[in-house]
Amino acid sequence: MSFFERFTSKWEKYRKPGYYDEFDYAWTMTVDLDSCTGCGACVTACQAENNIPIVGEKQLAKGREMQWIRIERYWEGAYPNARLSFIPMLCQHCDAAPCETVCPVSATYHNQDGLNTQVYNRCIGTRSCAVYCPYEVRYFNYNNHHWDTPLDQQLNPDVTVREKGVMEKCTFCIQRIRQAKDHAKDDGRRRVRDGEVQPACVQTCPTEALVFGNRKDPDSQVSKKMNDPRAYRVLDELNTRSSVVYLKKVDANG
Amino acid sequence: MLMDKLQYADVNNDIVRSLTVTGKRYYITLGISASLTLLCFFFPWFYQLYYGIGAAGMNHPGVWGTYLASFIFWIGLSHSGTLLSCVLHLTNSEWRKAMYRSAEAMTLFSLMVAATMVMVHVGRPWFIHWAAPYPNQMGMWPNFRSPLLFDVMAIATYLTGSSIFIYMGSIPDFAAVRDRTTGWRHHMYVLMSLGWRGTDTQWHRLNWAYTFLAVLIIPLAVSVHSIVSWDFAMSIVPSLHQTIFAPYFVVGAIYSGTAGIVTVMFVLRKYMNFEQYITKVHFDNLGKLLLVLSLIWTYINMLELFTAWYSGTSTEYEALKYKLFGYYAPLYWEMILFCAVAPLLLISKRFRTSYVPMLILSIAVNIGMYTERFLIVGTSLSRQYLPDAWGVYVPSLVEISILFGSLAMFTTMFLIFVKIFPSVSIYEVKETMHVPTKRPANRPDGEGAAQWQTT
Amino acid sequence: MANIDRRDFIKLVGAGSVSAGAGFVLAQSIKHPVEHLIPYPVPPEDFSPGIATWYNSVCSMCTAGCGITVRTREGRAKKIEGNPSHPVNQGRLCALGQAGLQVLYNPDRLIAPMMQTGDRGSNSFVQTTWDDGMSRVAERLTALREAGRGDRVCFLSDGTRGHLADVFSRFMEQLGSDRLINYDFAHPGTLYAANQHFFGAQYLPYYDLQNTRYLLSFGADYLGNWISPVHHGLGFGRSRDAGRGSRGRFVQVEPRMSISGAAADEWIPARPGTEGVLALGLAQHILASGAYAGEDLDSWTTALEPYSIEAVAEQTGLTEDTIGRLAQNFMYSEASLAIGGGAAANHSNGVDTLVAINALNYLAGNVGKSGGLMFNPAPAFEPKTKTRPAGYQAMAKFARDAAQGRIDVLILNQANPLHTLPAATGLREALEKIPMIVSLSSFADETTALADLVLPSHTYLESWGDDFPEPGVGFQLGSVSQPVVSPLYNTRATGDIILELAHRMGLSEAIPWSNMEHRLKDGWQELYESGSEDAPENDFEAFWMSVVEAGVWGKPTDAETLTFSVNREVIETIGMAAPEFAGDSESYPFLLHPYLSNSLHDGRGANLPWMQELPDAMTSVVYGSWVEMNPATARTLGLEEGDLVEVTSTEGSITAPILIFPAIMPDVIAMPIGQGHTEYGRYAKDRGVNPIQILAPKLESKTGDLAWGATRVALVATGRQAKLVKTGGVSRELGRDIIQTTGSAAPAEHHAAVTSIPIKVMPS
Ligand SMILES: Nc1nc2c(c(=O)[nH]1)N[C@H]1C(S)=C(S)[C@@H](COP(=O)(O)OP(=O)(O)OC[C@H]3O[C@@H](n4cnc5c(=O)[nH]c(N)nc54)[C@H](O)[C@@H]3O)O[C@H]1N2
Ligand SMILES: Nc1nc2c(c(=O)[nH]1)N[C@H]1C(S)=C(S)[C@@H](COP(=O)(O)OP(=O)(O)OC[C@H]3O[C@@H](n4cnc5c(=O)[nH]c(N)nc54)[C@H](O)[C@@H]3O)O[C@H]1N2
Ligand code: SF4
Ligand code: SF4
Ligand code: SF4
Ligand code: SF4
Ligand code: SF4
Repeated sequence: MSFFERFTSKWEKYRKPGYYDEFDYAWTMTVDLDSCTGCGACVTACQAENNIPIVGEKQLAKGREMQWIRIERYWEGAYPNARLSFIPMLCQHCDAAPCETVCPVSATYHNQDGLNTQVYNRCIGTRSCAVYCPYEVRYFNYNNHHWDTPLDQQLNPDVTVREKGVMEKCTFCIQRIRQAKDHAKDDGRRRVRDGEVQPACVQTCPTEALVFGNRKDPDSQVSKKMNDPRAYRVLDELNTRSSVVYLKKVDANG
Repeated sequence: MLMDKLQYADVNNDIVRSLTVTGKRYYITLGISASLTLLCFFFPWFYQLYYGIGAAGMNHPGVWGTYLASFIFWIGLSHSGTLLSCVLHLTNSEWRKAMYRSAEAMTLFSLMVAATMVMVHVGRPWFIHWAAPYPNQMGMWPNFRSPLLFDVMAIATYLTGSSIFIYMGSIPDFAAVRDRTTGWRHHMYVLMSLGWRGTDTQWHRLNWAYTFLAVLIIPLAVSVHSIVSWDFAMSIVPSLHQTIFAPYFVVGAIYSGTAGIVTVMFVLRKYMNFEQYITKVHFDNLGKLLLVLSLIWTYINMLELFTAWYSGTSTEYEALKYKLFGYYAPLYWEMILFCAVAPLLLISKRFRTSYVPMLILSIAVNIGMYTERFLIVGTSLSRQYLPDAWGVYVPSLVEISILFGSLAMFTTMFLIFVKIFPSVSIYEVKETMHVPTKRPANRPDGEGAAQWQTT
Repeated sequence: MANIDRRDFIKLVGAGSVSAGAGFVLAQSIKHPVEHLIPYPVPPEDFSPGIATWYNSVCSMCTAGCGITVRTREGRAKKIEGNPSHPVNQGRLCALGQAGLQVLYNPDRLIAPMMQTGDRGSNSFVQTTWDDGMSRVAERLTALREAGRGDRVCFLSDGTRGHLADVFSRFMEQLGSDRLINYDFAHPGTLYAANQHFFGAQYLPYYDLQNTRYLLSFGADYLGNWISPVHHGLGFGRSRDAGRGSRGRFVQVEPRMSISGAAADEWIPARPGTEGVLALGLAQHILASGAYAGEDLDSWTTALEPYSIEAVAEQTGLTEDTIGRLAQNFMYSEASLAIGGGAAANHSNGVDTLVAINALNYLAGNVGKSGGLMFNPAPAFEPKTKTRPAGYQAMAKFARDAAQGRIDVLILNQANPLHTLPAATGLREALEKIPMIVSLSSFADETTALADLVLPSHTYLESWGDDFPEPGVGFQLGSVSQPVVSPLYNTRATGDIILELAHRMGLSEAIPWSNMEHRLKDGWQELYESGSEDAPENDFEAFWMSVVEAGVWGKPTDAETLTFSVNREVIETIGMAAPEFAGDSESYPFLLHPYLSNSLHDGRGANLPWMQELPDAMTSVVYGSWVEMNPATARTLGLEEGDLVEVTSTEGSITAPILIFPAIMPDVIAMPIGQGHTEYGRYAKDRGVNPIQILAPKLESKTGDLAWGATRVALVATGRQAKLVKTGGVSRELGRDIIQTTGSAAPAEHHAAVTSIPIKVMPS
């Protein structure tokens, strides 16, 4: 095969619509805005699960928060009719991810499960992915972080501690996906069961506003949620084809 | 027509003297700029390498800052040098000849500073080579879809092309210097002149190759800044995602580059005793060029505002509002003043031919153009799609220091350059001179003009 | 009604776990007491490197009593999650519960017994041995006891329940002291009083949010802090997700929007202190419409006569339309429920308000009904002498007694009253008068800093314990907490300390247990014998193991059918006293609305960096205190975000930056409780201010509890600025349709956005 043929065949392979259909999973999260209370349990759960550093007041004052999932808040109207709505914002694992095209070293790429993965070891820290991401969910390590002993004992051994100069973001708790797949394999199952993977944020959400699963399985809970007429994607007009689907808030006056 | 009172020998002597005779003032200047480079550029950078990019003021969402602004600025500055030199070479513009060498040097050094800015900008510069496509055991390649990668390639190509171009154009001069120097200098120029003897075949080949490169470099230069603009325009950040960006960047680049040349020429003229080679004619012509560029630049800027307003979308509109009236609005209006309003003075010939006002204007334009780059990076990232993620980025001391340090680094490189390269092209200046007569003082005007000669 | 809960519970328990009998459950695994850090050459049975082990236990970050399961790796706790089998939280946790690991691994923990060698509060502690520390306390207590002056000992704890509380109470009983105070700022004392008064119920009822279709909350931030926020969150989410047409609606009446207010479909600012008037107005409306057909119609009609819609509108500042609409909705919703708490329950007329809410529920027929409120049976276990959390009056009495030199020894267990009581109680000076203060706390908080002797306890993740949530979930429930890691430091379990003291004091006869695990097993044996007829026969060990493994045990009895009829006397006395406030409205033009922080709670979370960095739900502020103000008020006063203002009450003043808050009444300012520590470790110390400190000692008129919503304040701009650290940018959508909404009616067509996500049917 000539170089050109090899090249085009690879290109075809990746470009072909339906390339991802061969694979078993397309991980998806649904977020019911009608039940999210903005309580922030998901934020802390993610921080605990994923070794997200404590950045300190000084850094926060500089605008260097590190929270892979954050709660955005939007006010509407004025007193006495003011209303506040919350929207949890995390990496949308876009199927057409703008962040992926720009990374010069392919440190962020799409895997076969539809995850937007981030390879810390490969990242050189150009921060362009963060510029390209319209959801602003990429967080950069502006310095090495420190855990006052013995807080470091809490660090999750299944998750890397990132060094200065690399980008990080929500991974859909890929370590848990990995583990569930291993269990499935050990049990002789081809696929993990619906509900077997629960990212930390989903796991803890007190109002069950977050649901996670495989949208390739039509019977999964997320598939059902996605088919709710309330389902929509944030910034859909940008055609990022995100894997986080929101369910509209219901406007019912008291 | 130019340099009426000069003899060929004077040219040689003047220029060789600039290489061999070095005054105290030069050493002091070099010393200062080298120490400033160390102090303002390298020390803060080392600190940043140790601490992390957090030494700069960048944050979330302001992940890009002055380093990238400086990068665009230096790339921009690099433009007029070689590009202008090529265009003028191809159009046989005579007035180019006294200035092109320093202009090309400017290109080279700005590119080098720009490349350094990339190193300063990235979080892990020790792995920067991963952005280069080199064969490796792991089969890991860079991402060829990334505009940043296009950038790496374009800049590398431009740097290579410009280096060859300046070097090639200097070969006859190295030979001339070789013939007038002794000792280690002589040996150095023997090597550098690559055996130049001034034969017809050599001249013929040089001219052919030089013209060929000139033709090649013009599209290259245009593409370089187009590609730099794509780093931004290919994103979907409101106010960056614009089709006009490539021409906008190219024009801006040439604009700031031209202004840079005016500054450099003023300095060379004044402090390297090139009064006779760099004259009002050069300033006049560059002034006209600046005026045209400023008008095009202004037009594109207005277009940008118009499209943002006309789009009617909240995203573009808020970004526009922020630019005009937000945190950095004073800088915006400063930029408009320096780059769109002040250059209108160039309509007056008297202004164009006055050295000091031209110097001031050229500096003002580059301050304005630096501001432009800063605003492109700084304001756009502050106002993206999700208002709850909006934020302000303010540069830190380290960043400001590195910005000034990069100027010092540029100056240092230039100072070293003027002692190695004849900073005014010996042979091409001679080309512009009258055929020498035995008694130059009595030479009647006009006689023997435009007789192109070689050494 | 309660059957549903029981079935749910069994379902929950059955899912994915072994069930060794209907009465109790197994979940994951059991922790063997590990005495040392992992002895690698001979690893314990349940330890394999690289494989996580999960232990069930109980969250003790607040009094809700959620079940937790802790993931450990190589002997270290790595993550806390909710115990899926626990009926209270069903696998979920709040942010504070998630942050429990930072209690365990807090760098500012007290790691060994210490003695104060300098002046009180001078922080000149030197380490000592347990033996030395214990003998000092034992000697002192023995001397007092033998002199018959045991009543000069006071034991001050946080809201401890279960067998640990029992150990405390037995110990104090042996000392001959009735000064066992279980103080928790957030304890809903007025709610107990109102329920006792109206229903004659001793325990809090179960609020069935899950099946409610119309919830009217008067000031209770049930999703933030009130009683059992995770359980309420579950109920809220399920009610909201009940499907089109039957989606629950939520209304919040409060002067400053809380997270429950934000989550509500409607937020209604009624004049503070008149929430009960509104409740009675709604009740009156229900009566007037003829929807109530129960007993004593006449008495009710008479009692509620003054609460005509016009009068209520006048008093509450709401429109008649709003009141009418609320009444209609409340009356005609499938299942409605009214609850009250927060500042509404802590005005001078707090009990009146809560009684009014009970009356509303009663008249709307919400009592004892699915989706309404149901009565809980008595907890499966209660300490020998009841140690229900004490309110402000007990603390005030303690402060008075101490100031008069009537207390010789104070034993502190995790309680930090110097932070959670107003300065006006004079507690600091009173503590100075106590000759000996012994602290069992895990952290050097403000009160512990004054201790003479510190005997630090294990954290909850290192100790044995149990819990009987109150309020329960409609049936009897107990949870066991086990040590999930070996103790990190030279600390001891609180129970073990007290038990050892008892031995040293020669009280072994009355208090025979050698350690807490022993006490627990003994207690649970009784429970086992007393009624677990469906447990494996005569095999307590198996029962115990299964409970420890599961972390929770439930006795799915049918819920108490508390038969009650509202006493005519109660009906006749129903009515709202006008609220009284401390400070005249001339010199103190604003009402201070303090509220418990979502993340820091009453301040206990302030030493946890995760909680400091968790953006405040409503404002996104981190690491600080602030003063919330209505935008119009701020405009009038010329104040902007970050302007430092001095907030002055009759009792003192504090300074904090202004934050413009769109949903607060113009004459109310709100401040979060939680910051303002002067001790309590590096993350908490010298950060922000504590609004509790300036509260006036205005009391709730019926209970003597602190009316913490009744302090008026004056504001003075200092002219200085402070940077409020916020993670949020601009909180307006600017027409970008980020948070989309839809009407409650079912749309005709399928929304296009999501059909574009390819759904591929999996190959089998
Ligand atoms: N993530 C991950 N971890 C692993 C493994 C894995 O597969 N993945 N594998 C495990 C296994 S099997 C092994 S053996 C270990 C290996 O672990 P290490 O021993 O840490 O292996 P290396 O990183 O290959 O080499 C260590 C260092 O030796 C330096 N070095 C090379 N030659 C010389 C020399 O001649 N003299 C001196 N003084 N230094 C030299 C190298 O530059 C390098 O910095 O890693 C273990 N850990
Ligand atoms: N290029 C390069 N090559 C290297 C090295 C290098 O640094 N660079 N390092 C060298 C060194 S130091 C080493 S040690 C070797 C390692 O080379 P290998 O020994 O090949 O190591 P692995 O591939 O990590 O593991 C081998 C297999 O063992 C399986 N396995 C795991 N646990 C068990 C078990 O309990 N029982 C059985 N039967 N199988 C198990 C794993 O699933 C895996 O498939 O690589 C050597 N090769
Ligand atoms: S945990 Fe759930 S309810 Fe709380 S903020 Fe996160 S998504 Fe919203
Ligand atoms: S949300 Fe942002 S970071 Fe995540 S995949 Fe999309 S573009 Fe990339
Ligand atoms: S920051 Fe890292 S991941 Fe992002 S574009 Fe740069 S190299 Fe790629
Ligand atoms: S999916 Fe995992 S990584 Fe992503 S936000 Fe949730 S907890 Fe964090
Ligand atoms: S509500 Fe939160 S803090 Fe309280 S017990 Fe439950 S998880 Fe723990």
